[in-house]
Amino acid sequence: MKTIIHDLNEKYEMILKEKCQKIISANGKYAPCQGCFGCWTKHPAGCYMKDTLETVCRDIGKTDELVIITENCYGAYSPSVKNVLDRSIGLSTPFSTYRGRQMHHTLRYGKKEKLTVYAYGDMTDAEKETFQYMVERNAINFGFQTFEFRYLESLDKSEGIN
Amino acid sequence: MKNQRFFNRKFVPAAQIRRLWKGMVISMKTVFINGSPKKKLSVSSYLLGIVRMLVSGEVVSEQVRNQNDHKRVLENIKDADAVVIGLPLYVDGVPSHMLAFLKEMERFCLEHDIRLKVYALSNGGFIEGRQNKPLMQVLENFCKRSNLEWCGGIGIGGGVMLNVLRIMFFVYLGIFVLNVVFAGIQTGNWLPMDAVQHFAKQLGIILFFNLGVFFHSLRMSIAINKGVGFGVKFTRVLLPSFLFILAADFFFVIISIFQGGIFKGWLAKK
Ligand SMILES: Cc1cc2nc3c(=O)[nH]c(=O)nc-3n(C[C@H](O)[C@H](O)[C@H](O)COP(=O)(O)O)c2cc1C
Repeated sequence: MKTIIHDLNEKYEMILKEKCQKIISANGKYAPCQGCFGCWTKHPAGCYMKDTLETVCRDIGKTDELVIITENCYGAYSPSVKNVLDRSIGLSTPFSTYRGRQMHHTLRYGKKEKLTVYAYGDMTDAEKETFQYMVERNAINFGFQTFEFRYLESLDKSEGIN
Repeated sequence: MKNQRFFNRKFVPAAQIRRLWKGMVISMKTVFINGSPKKKLSVSSYLLGIVRMLVSGEVVSEQVRNQNDHKRVLENIKDADAVVIGLPLYVDGVPSHMLAFLKEMERFCLEHDIRLKVYALSNGGFIEGRQNKPLMQVLENFCKRSNLEWCGGIGIGGGVMLNVLRIMFFVYLGIFVLNVVFAGIQTGNWLPMDAVQHFAKQLGIILFFNLGVFFHSLRMSIAINKGVGFGVKFTRVLLPSFLFILAADFFFVIISIFQGGIFKGWLAKK
């Protein structure tokens, strides 16, 4: 199964919908994580905030492949995309283990195949480096076996997303 | 000598002159921005508090929890010389609400030609301080875009445990005071050595775990007071990772029992 998270407008959403089983529109119409860990300790794999991201961790946890299309923000995801990721930590359990020789949480839904991130918008070389590193770290954190980071020169090339 | 060289430079930015002037006449202003969404007892507030104690001049504490805080905080940094941003590490990076704030801050600083020195204090739940590295890079990129001076920061591992230790300190202190009072009333001895020794031992352990944090916080405060760069440093709770993992597992079991999650499909695939 493949899931796409994107912060593009509806025009692109129509195109992207055909390329995956599940699409998450990072439209910013939801609250940021409050850091309570309730999605581990109180109501596992769910958030106390009843908006569209209440159970988004389940969708992301169950997918084999995750594709993220985001505007660049200092070599990181746009705030609205990062909001979705922050609200997704329920895909892990509160238990800890070693992964990539460092401490991480065990995965509620097991390992996933691939994380691909396409970033668009003005981006410096330093930001590209940061983003590449960020995606590598995120892949380990969320339990993806492989990852790929790509810079999109222009959004028209998002046609090439597969 | 130093000032001589300073003024000989062809281009002396207004902000630097202001800083020099303020340094001589009135005090420097440093704003501590807490980027944790937690209302109270955030680890970031603890870390910012340590550095704040050691920074001279005017110090101001702010917190950004949502958009409503943006305007107030930005107005506050307008005449500041330095900001120290305290951040929790969320999914290897800056929490989303703080990314939104940084974007606003970039716009604001460029618009008003604000030149600040930016320092950072970030902490993650995992034990390795190095896991904060991508976050530090993001902040550096932010500074470049905003024409601000990136002065580095401390990336700290084991944040949640620092919080538990802070709370334990006050619990131990409370017990110690009670011991002294009871001993004083019952035996007339207001300095019960066994209680003093016991408390000293507990204090020593807490201090030991915090040593890396205290050491780097002290060095960072000195850098802030001098107005110089600090570089990016990583440190952690001084505990081997396998013991830390055991402690973290224990911590979450206890919390999950109290909050009930353990009985609601704690590890189930939902
Ligand atoms: C949504 C979310 C994501 C997190 N991701 C990470 C992470 O990737 N790495 C890490 O070490 N800690 C992570 N943590 C743990 C926090 O960084 C840690 O609890 C920190 O001490 C919180 O600081 P605060 O009390 O100042 O908010 C995460 C916490 C939350 C709520």
